[in-house]
Amino acid sequence: MPQVKIIAKNFMDMVAALPTLKLDKLYENTFICEAVLRSLPPLAKKYALQLLYIEEPVTAKSMEEWVLPDGFSKHRVAIDRLIQLRVFIENPDGFSRKKETSYKLNPRFQVNLQNYTAHGGVLPRESMSSSITVRLPTAEELDSYALEQWESFLLQLISSGQIEKTTTSFSPSMMRIFQQGLVSQRDREGPRLTESGFQFLLMDTNAQLWYIIREYIINSEDRGVDSADLISFLLELSFHATGQAYNTSTLDEVQRSAVKDLADLGLIKLQQGRKESWFIPTKLATNLSVSLSDSSSRKEGYVVVETNFRLYAYSTSKLHCEILRLFARIEYQLPNLIVGAITKESLYTAFENGISSEQIISFLQQNAHPRVCDRAAPSVPENVTEQIRLWESDLNRVEVTPANFYDEFPSKDVFEGACDYARDNGGLLWEDSKRMRLVVKAEIHTLMRDYLHRQK
Amino acid sequence: MVNATKGQFITCDIPMAQFIINMNSTLPASQKFIIHVLDNTHLFVQPHAAEMIRSAISEFRDKISYEKPA
Repeated sequence: MPQVKIIAKNFMDMVAALPTLKLDKLYENTFICEAVLRSLPPLAKKYALQLLYIEEPVTAKSMEEWVLPDGFSKHRVAIDRLIQLRVFIENPDGFSRKKETSYKLNPRFQVNLQNYTAHGGVLPRESMSSSITVRLPTAEELDSYALEQWESFLLQLISSGQIEKTTTSFSPSMMRIFQQGLVSQRDREGPRLTESGFQFLLMDTNAQLWYIIREYIINSEDRGVDSADLISFLLELSFHATGQAYNTSTLDEVQRSAVKDLADLGLIKLQQGRKESWFIPTKLATNLSVSLSDSSSRKEGYVVVETNFRLYAYSTSKLHCEILRLFARIEYQLPNLIVGAITKESLYTAFENGISSEQIISFLQQNAHPRVCDRAAPSVPENVTEQIRLWESDLNRVEVTPANFYDEFPSKDVFEGACDYARDNGGLLWEDSKRMRLVVKAEIHTLMRDYLHRQK
Repeated sequence: MVNATKGQFITCDIPMAQFIINMNSTLPASQKFIIHVLDNTHLFVQPHAAEMIRSAISEFRDKISYEKPA
């Protein structure tokens, strides 16, 4: 059965999927216009800027003349994207009767961007002066805060129920929404990670964050929050300066409740002064709208696997321990070190949970400790990777196919005809021409029966 | 007249085939599930036998592996 894979789609794909009305409303915000412009592929960006001061529609034909023949596929992609995001409007009124496709910049987008180029953007709120906020966290403090917050959220996500003290204020129903698809709730056994849940844990932070944010946005309507409002706030947030304090009183009702949730995810840090309260965006928030696919911020690995199947993970994180526990046997934990072993039994548990050997191997390779990465030898010993694969194939030693068995053919000709017919239909599993017996997949049994009837 | 029988077609390696054949022969006649032993690596069994075979194999696998107590 095919499983839905988790694809960390881009923020902009979500924007593009919004209905026209909402999208047009979004473009009233200058920052969204800029974020959208930034997200475009290079050629599309150029087109958008080229048409910025052109009020008249431009025909598709004249645009095609701008590109060389071998750049045509890129041109197509760029135009499609622009139309998808409604940056370009196809055939504006009064022009379609000419039967020629033409494009025009979305008027709202155009006006906003024109203003933006002339005056620059002004955030709806100023950062607060240091006289009120007194002491702001340093960049490192903020980063570690964000990471800590995010990890505790993930930990809660994968092992709800085991943690008695909830660190985040997400309601259980909200948590369940996030867990959908990642964790399967089975009676008695408690929550278990699914295949996609494991894939989720393997993704880098930005992709994970995006997945959660996407769920958060999709489900916002159920909470009575307009998804367009939320998207515009999130995009706006990504234009705030990291580490600066912004007054909470500048936010409206929707934003204020969103801010609380975002603080739980580690996107922002909330602080309370004597009179005022303020929020400080962290790196996670400001990275949100940059294209998430090419995030270069790879975390440093921490896992060392030895040829004797022992596993050393230099990490203090409880989350890492939980991830390793999915496929390895954790033997002991020191303050900064997790020691475990990859055993046949621990792997069988992983395979039962729908985790494949390839996923485990790629996880070990991606998170290999820098010391082992630098060596010329493979970061995970070959005998270990081979053995993991072998153990997996050991589980699939017996293959069972529903089938039908045919014998007592009246003549060699009928038998061979039947064999050929089954082969042509892609259903021949086994044949024995000496004793004239054959096995055919159950799917084509009716076809076979009809064929044999016709032969008589 | 061609005769058709419904069942499950099993492909496996030789030791596994022997294991299944042995398992079949220890059962009382009324519960035997192998319809035909086709060759060394192919068997044809009754439609309902697949689950039983799988569980027997995993039981066998557990029996021959040792887990260090925690």
